[in-house]
Amino acid sequence: MERLRRNPELQAWLLLAAPVIFLLIFFMAPLLIVFIYSFLERGKYGGVEWVFTLENIRRVFDPLYFRTFLRSFNIAIITTLITLILGYPLAYFIANSPPHRRSALLFALMIPFWTNFLIRTYAWLTLLRTHTGLINVSLMNWGIIEKPLPLFGNDFAIILGLVYGWLPVMVLPIYAALERLDKSLLEAARDLYASNFHAFRRVTWPLSIPGVVAGSMLVFIPSLGAFVTPAILGGGKSLMIGNIISNQFLGAHDWPFGSALSMVMMIAMLIATVIYFRWTVKSEALA
Amino acid sequence: MTTQTETTEFSYHPRWEQFKSKLGGWSLTTYGILAFAFLYLPIIILVIFSFNESRSVSKWTGFSLHWYSEMFQDDRIMLSVWNSLFLAVVSTAIATVLGTLAALGLERYQFRGKTAIDSMFYLPVIIPDIAMAIMLLLFFNMSGIGFTPWKVQFFGVKLAVPYSVIIGHVAFNTSFVAIVVRARLAQMDRTLEEAAQDLYADTWRTFQRITLPMLMPGIIGGALLAFTLSLDDFVITFFTSGAGFNTLPVRVFGMIKKGVTPKINAVSTLMLAVSLSLVIISILLRTRSGDDETVQMGF
Amino acid sequence: MTDTYAVELQDVVKQFGDVIAVNHVTLQIHDGEFFSLLGPSGCGKTTTLRMIAGFEMPTSGAIYIHGQRQGYRPPNKRPVNTVFQNYALFPHMTVAKNVAFGLEMKKLAKEDIKRRVGEALEMVRLSGMANRKPKQLSGGQQQRVALARALVNRPEVLLLDEPLGALDLKLRKAMQLELKALQEEVGITFIYVTHDQEEALTMSDRIAVMNNGIVHQVGNPEEIYEHPADRFVADFIGETNFIPVKVVALSPAIVVELNTGERVHAGWAEEGLAVGDNAVLSIRPEKMDLLEPHERPQTPSHNIALIQGSISHLVYVGTDTRHTVTLRDGTNVVVRLQNVYIGEEPWEIGEETIVTWNAAHARILKE
Repeated sequence: MERLRRNPELQAWLLLAAPVIFLLIFFMAPLLIVFIYSFLERGKYGGVEWVFTLENIRRVFDPLYFRTFLRSFNIAIITTLITLILGYPLAYFIANSPPHRRSALLFALMIPFWTNFLIRTYAWLTLLRTHTGLINVSLMNWGIIEKPLPLFGNDFAIILGLVYGWLPVMVLPIYAALERLDKSLLEAARDLYASNFHAFRRVTWPLSIPGVVAGSMLVFIPSLGAFVTPAILGGGKSLMIGNIISNQFLGAHDWPFGSALSMVMMIAMLIATVIYFRWTVKSEALA
Repeated sequence: MTTQTETTEFSYHPRWEQFKSKLGGWSLTTYGILAFAFLYLPIIILVIFSFNESRSVSKWTGFSLHWYSEMFQDDRIMLSVWNSLFLAVVSTAIATVLGTLAALGLERYQFRGKTAIDSMFYLPVIIPDIAMAIMLLLFFNMSGIGFTPWKVQFFGVKLAVPYSVIIGHVAFNTSFVAIVVRARLAQMDRTLEEAAQDLYADTWRTFQRITLPMLMPGIIGGALLAFTLSLDDFVITFFTSGAGFNTLPVRVFGMIKKGVTPKINAVSTLMLAVSLSLVIISILLRTRSGDDETVQMGF
Repeated sequence: MTDTYAVELQDVVKQFGDVIAVNHVTLQIHDGEFFSLLGPSGCGKTTTLRMIAGFEMPTSGAIYIHGQRQGYRPPNKRPVNTVFQNYALFPHMTVAKNVAFGLEMKKLAKEDIKRRVGEALEMVRLSGMANRKPKQLSGGQQQRVALARALVNRPEVLLLDEPLGALDLKLRKAMQLELKALQEEVGITFIYVTHDQEEALTMSDRIAVMNNGIVHQVGNPEEIYEHPADRFVADFIGETNFIPVKVVALSPAIVVELNTGERVHAGWAEEGLAVGDNAVLSIRPEKMDLLEPHERPQTPSHNIALIQGSISHLVYVGTDTRHTVTLRDGTNVVVRLQNVYIGEEPWEIGEETIVTWNAAHARILKE
């Protein structure tokens, strides 16, 4: 007991032992398995043969799959951009509201986010479906359009669903950055002959970049790995990498290839994150 | 530096300046209203059509509670509700203990290899759920743990919940709890603990009488977040449960795949009500403890 | 009518909801003047400054800068610059970029900007720090950057909002002198907001003393200190004794009676007082002296006040000693005597004494 009191490192490990062992077994080991499986041959009835191969990795870059990969990237980037364009002014609006209204608005923002993602996606399904969706039905009833608009089963629907799902996580870190922003800095800029626009461009925007980066990452990563949204709003036609991965486990029983796909996806995310960080740090320095 | 002042001619039209200063505020407010409408309208419409008389979720034909009674009579939905609740309770309990321990160890101590352990706790939060799901799927298959169910009575209902699903939920929830509790710990004034020690409390008594009570809002916040995430999770449950086990989201996904009916809207409204009450509970807890709202949102 | 003043405020009112922050303030500030707005926190001095800068719009009244009415003119279109309380240096820009900001916004030529930024940094002796970020500077250096950033624009009026508040005492003293010297050098009108009366007295040409949104007195430091216009000013500026009195006569001489029944003359009485009113006699501790009871002059003069009392408390404060004297009615007054000590025996607690002062230094103020 005395030794424990004197040795903080021992104390730390005593506290950490249970959670660390748990994560090592049930998180790190599975991660390692995916890595190993990526280099193994596929078994006849699911499972794997313990033979080393690079075939799975090569197949990821096969145009057949790689096209989906690029498309997923595209969708994730567009989603992130739109979420940023929609989310920034919203964060700005909340941050510039009177303090007593601010927390109410934040909760109003978070309630949809705390609502099940599946449900929120389903809500859009009922709105977007081509012949029976509320939007097309209403527009045709009102005689605004004659033929239903192509709102469903395409990239538009997926992006809309993703933007809707992840908008709150974009807003939150930007809000935090804007709220931290010292108001006297803006007054100083205005005092030094900057118009509202220039004060924003030269002071507010560069100082909110950390929030923009955090928000973008929080939207980009789950968008790239999206599974539910394309599964429901893609209408079985428009797929993303998440669906291809799941197919390898649910339908095709090609576990090594599924593992390789998710390995490449995670590495791609890592690279994108690093590039994005570098780029924003540089643009911040230039401001 | 010369001493003369410099006169610059500024263009200035009083009415235009007055108008401009108001215009900014108006357009921002208008945008704010539109953005919140975008966030809420789909959900509101979803709820409205759960009360529709006919099978349509886009044409209103009249008010009815028909779909709710169908929902409550559907044994498979009801079983999945119990599965969801049981899973959320058990995984939250375990994750809260593990996450709090991790937060204490990581926030309060310096030791070799801390950075590595730190990153390990952030990974499950960052990794997309589809990747985490297939990782766990492969692990349970390979390790032989498999999808053995835990047969248990929960409020008199007989459930069979695979251990793999529980473990999967604990695996991602632990990190979320750890992050929320750490944020609380970091905000905590350490001089209070020093004051306790100055007043003759030993390490354990200090923890018990000062640290833990002050940490409680963080722990409860983390637990609420874990509970919500567990209730909401679809992807990890879907892949780690093996065949035949349904939580409510898994059930809903299956129903959506078969076709759209107001019954799904009714189930959704039920889930919405649960999330909403969880949010309200957390608001009440937060206002009572007077915390910084952004830290507590789960980031 | 107004173009002789650098800044003129005419009956300016600022209301925030139900709170009246600035209450019918009228001020004229001359060209090249070092003008201070002095008062406790919440007195409306910062709000007044912010209205001149254009960050707040007056609820009513008018503000003129060199005769031009400001109205809805936004801050970026006013010929004034501000040094902020917390400096408000842009944390993401270097010192040079901070100083160049205003000139860039005014779209000056690149070479001009570069030259003037160099000059401005030289003026505040920070030439070597041009490429540092504000966080890498000490408080005093940040303060000087803020000053350079404002002065580089050669504003018609420089507004300073408690610019020295965050510095420690010694640095603050040094900066006071530096600021004053700088102001004399550049000749720009300074409007300086502070709650520190000593700072205001040291630096200003003229001071406006404010409280609760009202200007109590405008004058040069000596006027403010020696001839406070009312009880608030007397109390807020320096240390003073307030002795409760009743007005006995106002003319030809001002005579008041203490609670002890002793009568004294006074040099000045606030307007609006009438015979029979209760009032206070205000007298500065250093204007008073103590006499031994036997030293009482044989031929009393109206101009010399002589009040009996006994020493109740002594505090040695270095250059002088504060003697607390309890008068016969229990009123305490403080008398400061310089510690010269040549052949003099110091006073002791409990000793009987006579407090004396020249009637000209006593001012009768409303309660």
